[in-house]
Amino acid sequence: MTRADTEYSHLVPLLDQYANIDPTDPRREALRAKLVTGYLPVAQHIARRFVNRGEPLDDLVQVATVGLINAIDRFAPERGNDFFSFAVPTITGEVRRHFRDLGWSMRVPRRLKDLHVSINGVVSDLAQQLGRAPKPSEIAARLGIPVSEVLEGLEASEAYRSSSLDEMLSSEKGSATVGELVGEADAELERVDSRQALRPVLAELAPRERMIVMLRFFGNMTQTQIADEVGISQMHVSRLLTQTLERLRTRLDPETPVI
Amino acid sequence: MSEPPHLNGSFDGASTVEVRTSASAALIPTLRMIAADLAARADFDLDAISDLRMAVDEVCATLVDVAAPSSPLRCVFQVRPERIQVDAEVQPAQADTVVSTDTFGWRVLQTLADEVEVRHEAGIDGNRATVGIRLNKRPGMFGSDGQGR
Repeated sequence: MTRADTEYSHLVPLLDQYANIDPTDPRREALRAKLVTGYLPVAQHIARRFVNRGEPLDDLVQVATVGLINAIDRFAPERGNDFFSFAVPTITGEVRRHFRDLGWSMRVPRRLKDLHVSINGVVSDLAQQLGRAPKPSEIAARLGIPVSEVLEGLEASEAYRSSSLDEMLSSEKGSATVGELVGEADAELERVDSRQALRPVLAELAPRERMIVMLRFFGNMTQTQIADEVGISQMHVSRLLTQTLERLRTRLDPETPVI
Repeated sequence: MSEPPHLNGSFDGASTVEVRTSASAALIPTLRMIAADLAARADFDLDAISDLRMAVDEVCATLVDVAAPSSPLRCVFQVRPERIQVDAEVQPAQADTVVSTDTFGWRVLQTLADEVEVRHEAGIDGNRATVGIRLNKRPGMFGSDGQGR
């Protein structure tokens, strides 16, 4: 018997009870709540495995809990399986679905999501060949689709809230020269006479966001060049920059004097 | 609100979109989406499209910040063969408001746009003073020697 089995063994008879209880029985809700609370650490554990993919842990726990509730509702003890071998894939599946679907801030049709993935797939290839970011017409030619569809796909990318999908598509290779480039950008930041206390605010950013801001605004690199150095897609750089500028704006009061 | 000079008379052959919104941060996403859409339809490269979107974001946020309560924000986008020009303006809460150019925000604008300038218009003939920003963005790098490190 594993430790998990002992830890949750008191819940097993409740699962049986819950599976067989009459749906109209007033005790059903309390029983369900007891099961959800009891198994909650399992959902939390699974949620934590998906952290660092651009989604807040709270949201992940919530999604995993929905998965747990589904598992409790659908579990059929009479089939002889134990609860974990049913619940773990159910919960994990729910979190995965969250990354696939709910990363989009509004309901975006499947076709447009696929389009986003196709466009993202050819952008870096084209950039390599052209030595600059591609234009919609060039993306259309490469994919063999009308420009209007590329425009549609680019618009859909705007609706994409989280960076999780791009995160998974990114190779995240990083480059040896990045550190050097950031060093140069840092010297430029030092040189720029800003009356705002920029440095401490930049220091609050996550390392990668800070690096991208430095390279774009103090290192004079384009998004495509940054994407290539950092090993993520241009669209991901664009999204990270937009989010970071928004955050910096709220943190940098124009009236703040230089420290 | 006084007519900016470029709106007197004809639209000068440029494809023009003019949008007036309340000077509210909540409406900035709408304006930046228009900017990105125009740039994409003009076949700007992806860097230039994204740069213009962020620049409009920055311009509008800067102006909304100094705008008088419940006053309008006016944005004029002119699509020309080799550039998109954006003029944005608000009525400032204080008549002597200036947009400062020694900020990080201004450096962001200078990096993202090809040209950017502040335009202050004194109030004349009972019209209120306006403060605005004009920027120009070109479709992208021409060749590989244009910008970059």
